[in-house]
Amino acid sequence: MDRGLYLRFATVVGIALLAVLQLLPTVDAWRLSQRVEGEPEPEPITPAIVSEWFTGRISPGLDIRGGLRLQYEVEVEEYIRDRRDTLSEQLVRKLGVLLEIYGENDADTATRAQLDAVAERVQVATLGDGLRATVTFTGSVPEAFDRDWLRDEGFGELRIVSTSGNVVMLEMREDNLDALRTTAVQQAQHTVEERINTLGIAETTVMARDMDIIVEVPGATEEQFERIRSIISRTARLEFKVLDDDDEAGFVAGLGANLPEGGGISMMMETSSAGEERPNVSVSYLYAPMRDGEESSTPAYQRLHDYVRTLDIPTGHELLLSEVGGPQDRIQNRGWRSYYVFSSANVTGEDVSDAGVAFDPTQGNAPYVSLRFNTRGADRFEELTGRNVKRRMAIVLDDKVFSAPVINQRIGGGNAQITLGGGMGGQEAIAEANDLVVVLKAGALPAPLRPSNEQLIGPTLGHDSVEKGAMGALIGIGLVLILMALYYQVAGLVADVMVVLNVLLLLALMAALGATLTLPGIAAIALTVGMAVDANVLITERIREELRLGKSPRSAVDQGFARAFSSVFDSQITTFIAGIVLFQFGTGPIKGFAVMLMIGIATSLFTGIFCSRVMLDWIVRGLKVERLRVG
Amino acid sequence: MELIKPDTYIDFMRYRLPVIGVSVSIALLSVGSLFWPGANLGLDFAGGTELEVAFTGDVSTTEVREALTNSGHPGADVVTVEGQANRYILRVRETSAITPELQETIGSRLRSALGDVEVLQYKVSPGGDKISLRLSGPADTQVIRGAIEGEGDNGVQVREVTRFGGTAEHRFEASLVGVGDAVFQDLQTAFADRAPESALRIEWVGPKAGEQLRDAAIQSLLYAIAFIMVYIAFRFDLRFAPGAVLAMLHDVMITVGIYVLVQKEMNLTTIAALLTILGYSINDTIVVFDRIRENLGRHKDKSLRELINISTSQVLSRTIMTSGTTLVSVVAFFIYGTSVIQDISFALFVGILVGTYSSIYIASPMTEWIDRRFFAKAA
Repeated sequence: MDRGLYLRFATVVGIALLAVLQLLPTVDAWRLSQRVEGEPEPEPITPAIVSEWFTGRISPGLDIRGGLRLQYEVEVEEYIRDRRDTLSEQLVRKLGVLLEIYGENDADTATRAQLDAVAERVQVATLGDGLRATVTFTGSVPEAFDRDWLRDEGFGELRIVSTSGNVVMLEMREDNLDALRTTAVQQAQHTVEERINTLGIAETTVMARDMDIIVEVPGATEEQFERIRSIISRTARLEFKVLDDDDEAGFVAGLGANLPEGGGISMMMETSSAGEERPNVSVSYLYAPMRDGEESSTPAYQRLHDYVRTLDIPTGHELLLSEVGGPQDRIQNRGWRSYYVFSSANVTGEDVSDAGVAFDPTQGNAPYVSLRFNTRGADRFEELTGRNVKRRMAIVLDDKVFSAPVINQRIGGGNAQITLGGGMGGQEAIAEANDLVVVLKAGALPAPLRPSNEQLIGPTLGHDSVEKGAMGALIGIGLVLILMALYYQVAGLVADVMVVLNVLLLLALMAALGATLTLPGIAAIALTVGMAVDANVLITERIREELRLGKSPRSAVDQGFARAFSSVFDSQITTFIAGIVLFQFGTGPIKGFAVMLMIGIATSLFTGIFCSRVMLDWIVRGLKVERLRVG
Repeated sequence: MELIKPDTYIDFMRYRLPVIGVSVSIALLSVGSLFWPGANLGLDFAGGTELEVAFTGDVSTTEVREALTNSGHPGADVVTVEGQANRYILRVRETSAITPELQETIGSRLRSALGDVEVLQYKVSPGGDKISLRLSGPADTQVIRGAIEGEGDNGVQVREVTRFGGTAEHRFEASLVGVGDAVFQDLQTAFADRAPESALRIEWVGPKAGEQLRDAAIQSLLYAIAFIMVYIAFRFDLRFAPGAVLAMLHDVMITVGIYVLVQKEMNLTTIAALLTILGYSINDTIVVFDRIRENLGRHKDKSLRELINISTSQVLSRTIMTSGTTLVSVVAFFIYGTSVIQDISFALFVGILVGTYSSIYIASPMTEWIDRRFFAKAA
């Protein structure tokens, strides 16, 4: 027996052993899940060192094992209000054109001075929670402002309810609202799907029902559920807003006298820059410290948030909150502070084309999120930063300020970065940055989601079906093994070993990848077994043919493999091509099927061409049989 | 043991016309079946009604599933709620459809019943289980109920009418008696003293897999065909590509057709089964082609028709063995599986049978025809 054969034999045995080791943690996890309430936990059969090295395991999908079912309500009314606000802001800009304050082309880039001029002539106000808005002209209502103007300027969604004196009342058209609601739910479903896909949790389904989004996550750990929950419910509305540090009326400073007593909110001052002309101004802000022992940041945030809600903030402005403090910040104690900003946001998350996590070596490798804008976003961002040099710009995510750096110069090129708030430790900051990237990439939710129902559910098929199905699979494979052994005898036994090895390798690879096993996955395994059998049948038939021609077992094996190779290879590769395409274009269950299929083909090729050759070579060369019994 | 004697020569091509005739008829029938009776779309595609119930006595998943099947809801999802014994989420495929005409009738009855109060919004939920209204002024819930139920000729029954929203808004929602209630009634009859007291929740559920999945499936099928054709043209010969693709389409089409004809439910799992068949079909065809290619080099004097016969006869033993073993395991699945698993095995059984013969009678004759039609003259 030659050396090369020993080496190949050892390789096969080694790989089989690795596969077994890789599968041990899965077996333990399965035994643990089978434990009946009250019984002692089964002793793990996996040695500690093995479970340390082989961490991946196969997790059963929702249809097999059950899992978590989350139900969210899309707050469509919020979406509609947003739409109304956007429309009224656009309306102001277009009214500037109507009033001949600037030309048609400047509507989108009107300067602050120009908008102030518009505000002197006409005000657009939205009414509370309703769907209406009023347009109040300082003089009489221009004749040109009518239904046709609204339609031509792209405000077809609005209709004029009434006109009295210089006030025109507008309303969003009912028939459009339905379309808006549907869009909101569809977009929300799509965004949630995208986010979950980015997380890489296989086989999660996202369904829409009326105004609800239902997410089903197959049995996973409590930590995973937690991560999914936090990522799904994040609105991820990213906005860049300029700070009004040049606040001449001193709105925030003026609040000082009226702060609620004992409310834990105080007034603070800082030096900032309000543009190139006034590089040193004193700015006031509200601050609520986190009290000792405050577990989460909510109470301090809540205090400040509740107070801000009671304020009558000047038009065109907002008071946004940000978490501050901790080791990386100038403020030693942690807490929440306010930022006084202009409410219009010309650059938003919609302009972001890509996001990623990066590390800043000058800040002790602190992680930050780098953003890349699309063409429109890049232009707008350049324009925004060019117009506000030396001012601060707040990076706002879900109405919370992440950071507010001073714009040092016009920023072209379409890149920006979000520095993470202070106070976070290394791991925490990295996890936060990763989550941020996930939500930014998938885009913002059109409206916030409100969790409405959450349940742990059992398998769709029921334990009984799953057990019967497993039984069917075992019997099926068993029958195949027997048939092969009977028909092809020695070669059949070799094929049997290969089928078993193939399933073993397939499962081990699945475990290594942390794949989820579902019904479509089982179908893919069935196909793989069929293909593994086919590879061996093809080879054995060829060997038979060669033997019939009177060749020695040794040369029959050599010839058989040589001749069968192209059949085996081509037939598997074409199926593999189908797998690649399915993976590329498929979603959810199709993708899962494709992955399993491709892994299965890889293992079939390995067992069919390499392993069975080693075994047959060993029989004809090592054992030097006179006659190879192949049926 | 030898099933097929060596040197067996079967003149497969001799019978090709009648076989192709039968095959084409079945394929056409399959396409026709999509229009009538039409695919029996499962919950995954069509959506359905979901209800959550808590049984008062011990019941098993199997029992509940059987009860639902007996009351005319085969293929229902029965899902246990973890941590709460005897609590189930049931999903049936049916929804309480309200025809557009009926929608209109109810709408006009509402408008006339409400008099001066204007109907700002009138919407029937996609599942036909809810009617939501936004009115310009206050209204009596009894009046709304009356208008929706009509004089009993509307065929809808209102479970309750609720008013919600802020005081300035006049929003109402009427939940209707529908499929969910019928299922609940059936459970009461079937389980008697163990039956749930009331349904905790009855809702319409939208499809899990919508148009997006369908489009992705069609797109991937087309790309797969294109790439496989390129591969075959490159590794074999351009002549072989159309036959392989035709056989693949043929197999999927017939499987879908038979599936539709026996009115089995189409769901995501069926899609997986169809993909499996696709894989099997190509695999099988390539093996036959490979032998033809090999023999092309060996017997230069023989016609392609003869070569197909020789090659098919040579690989016949392998074909029977591979298809046989695969079928055996599929049958085992069918015997031991329940509902969904049985449906998959059924599809696979049909697909493997069709996939096996299509390599011989669809892929090969097509290749021979193309060879004669486009290549013979040039030579």
